[in-house]
Amino acid sequence: MEEYDYSDITPLPIQTDVQDELCRIMYTEEYKQLMGLTRALISMNELSPRALQLTSQVIHVAPAFYTIWNYRFNIVRHMMAESDDTTSYLNKELDWLDEVTLNNPKNYQIWSYRQSLLKLHPSPTLKRELPVLKLMIDDDSKNYHVWSYRKWCCLFFNDFQHELAYTTDLIQSDIYNNSAWTHRMFYWVNAKDVASEVELADEFQFIMDKIQLVPQNISSWTYLRGFQEFTHDTIQQDEKVVQFATSFTADVLSLPIGSPQDLPGIESSYALEFLANHWSADPASRDSAVKAYNLLAIKYDPIRKNLWQHKINILS
Amino acid sequence: MCQVATDMKKVLARKHEKFFERHLQLLPSSHQGHDVNRMAIVFYSMVGLSILDVDVPAKYNYHLDWIRKHYIKKTLDDKNSTVISGFVGSLVMDIPHATTVNIANTLFALLSLIMLKDYEYFESILDRESLSRFVSRCQLPTRGSFVSCLDYNTNSASPVDSDDLRFCYIAVAILYICGCRSTEEFDRYIDTRKLIEYIMAQRCCGGAFGAHNEPHAGYTSCALSTLALLSSLAELSDKFREDTITWLLHRQVSCHGCMQLEDDSNTTYDQSDDGGFQGRENKYADTCYAFWCLNSLQLLTKDWKLLCQTERTKNYLLDRTQNTLTGGFSKNDEDDADLYHSCLGNAALALIEGKFNGELCIPQETFDDFCKTCHC
Repeated sequence: MEEYDYSDITPLPIQTDVQDELCRIMYTEEYKQLMGLTRALISMNELSPRALQLTSQVIHVAPAFYTIWNYRFNIVRHMMAESDDTTSYLNKELDWLDEVTLNNPKNYQIWSYRQSLLKLHPSPTLKRELPVLKLMIDDDSKNYHVWSYRKWCCLFFNDFQHELAYTTDLIQSDIYNNSAWTHRMFYWVNAKDVASEVELADEFQFIMDKIQLVPQNISSWTYLRGFQEFTHDTIQQDEKVVQFATSFTADVLSLPIGSPQDLPGIESSYALEFLANHWSADPASRDSAVKAYNLLAIKYDPIRKNLWQHKINILS
Repeated sequence: MCQVATDMKKVLARKHEKFFERHLQLLPSSHQGHDVNRMAIVFYSMVGLSILDVDVPAKYNYHLDWIRKHYIKKTLDDKNSTVISGFVGSLVMDIPHATTVNIANTLFALLSLIMLKDYEYFESILDRESLSRFVSRCQLPTRGSFVSCLDYNTNSASPVDSDDLRFCYIAVAILYICGCRSTEEFDRYIDTRKLIEYIMAQRCCGGAFGAHNEPHAGYTSCALSTLALLSSLAELSDKFREDTITWLLHRQVSCHGCMQLEDDSNTTYDQSDDGGFQGRENKYADTCYAFWCLNSLQLLTKDWKLLCQTERTKNYLLDRTQNTLTGGFSKNDEDDADLYHSCLGNAALALIEGKFNGELCIPQETFDDFCKTCHC
């Protein structure tokens, strides 16, 4: 790391020993010095290499310091304009940001800062973003900020070519990964104007295979419902899907509702809920819907018994 | 309640109180990273203490001046000499020639001053007009959403900050505290229509709100609270409301029925979370989501307590995430108690008891008293 001279700067020291202060923090000497200098440089709006260096130090200590990201961005914009090669200057900044990102998985300022850099970049690429995205998702496969950023990238670059295979891999390693499932839906909604019937039928098969593997999984059932709605005008799978869902309910719907202990175990409450919801739509099958909700209430998902009763009330 | 249980409850309440008080006193240097948002620490602690019926105005009156010092008013160098104002989260952020006020810290400070009953401040010191103007500048004209701060140099919306439902909520809550109620009043400062369009674009297809169709209980609470403060919940269709209620009730984790089937294979399922709420599908329950989910539910239906099992939520919070040794609540049963989860754990319990204003996240009585005195 390059050593810069700041000795000509008169620091703006932070106040300590304020009598009526709340939440007084026992500052370290380093922090006091760093902040004294930073406040002075921001106040003068000095846009220089040494100021850039200082922002790295502050971001290391206090990534939540929102003004420092703003200040850094202004420095970068200024120095980029003065450099001979804007692209490599911004790539260097992205390299630096990669390191910071890996050390601060929960900080959200990083991602909007990244977006601002890419918007500034003369030739940004998705390829450049994929490795850090992968590392971050490997580290925390449901990190909301990282997934939001990934989606932003897909839309920004209008590039969805990696997404389907990527979510397949993630669902393969954790079938309960709701972020991966919702990202898959995001793919279908945004990737192309029209998907072929073959593609859609393949996707139905994919979902059913995954549900077959783990029937009690809310993510895959929610996805199935979403996908059905999404494809409604192109491909009709209702009958097939109803049969499929029924296969996880141990014929419980054909049995009389007795006491809960006499009812058999079933493989999935979500299958039963799916059926109840499906039957609710048609007055001819409402009795079946009511029965399914009743079964959920007394045996298969009793914590939500008041919800199921509420659904029954809506039907009658 | 038997005597032993009542005594135990008192002992625990005292421990929670001490937990919050400690955060208002001296903090170790490991808190330096939170220095710039110190007002958040003040707010979370005071909410906790207010819920526990501590006389916050009497106890912290001495510190009023210190909080007031965080209010910064600035005349801009433009042709109208526009005045804007807001709060910084820490005096460290009070930097000459730089605009560093922030809407999150502004809301935290305003609510803290309300809890301190510093009504004189609202009546004669706070300049609502310039404060609302600052909020106005945080709105992104094309998207309708809000960022949390301005460019320190140009005073237009920050070019590097994120915009999301949290900041939309915060912006609207500030204007509400400043007295805005009708759409016309909000429209004086912000493009309400555009904001509502942004919020509606964050709806997810199976109910609830989130970025790019991944529903999230925290964002859902922000979206619904914002619509409630704008008196615009009617924008939501009956179907979407019903889907959202269903989605929210599904966030209550259960160890009964088919849910037990997940025990072996789902790494983010824990039977002992029974009664608690998760923020998204297939995640562990977490103290704070009891608040975000219940607040969302109460905004959608007055029957919310009939729909979900709040007794179980109470048990989850009191028996599982409450730290009976140090006071406070933790995120789950593994971590140490922390301030954020302690505040929201207590808030969830107060909400269930009907004593809490969820849209503004302070005790109802506190807000009623403020409204009555300050005629807002």
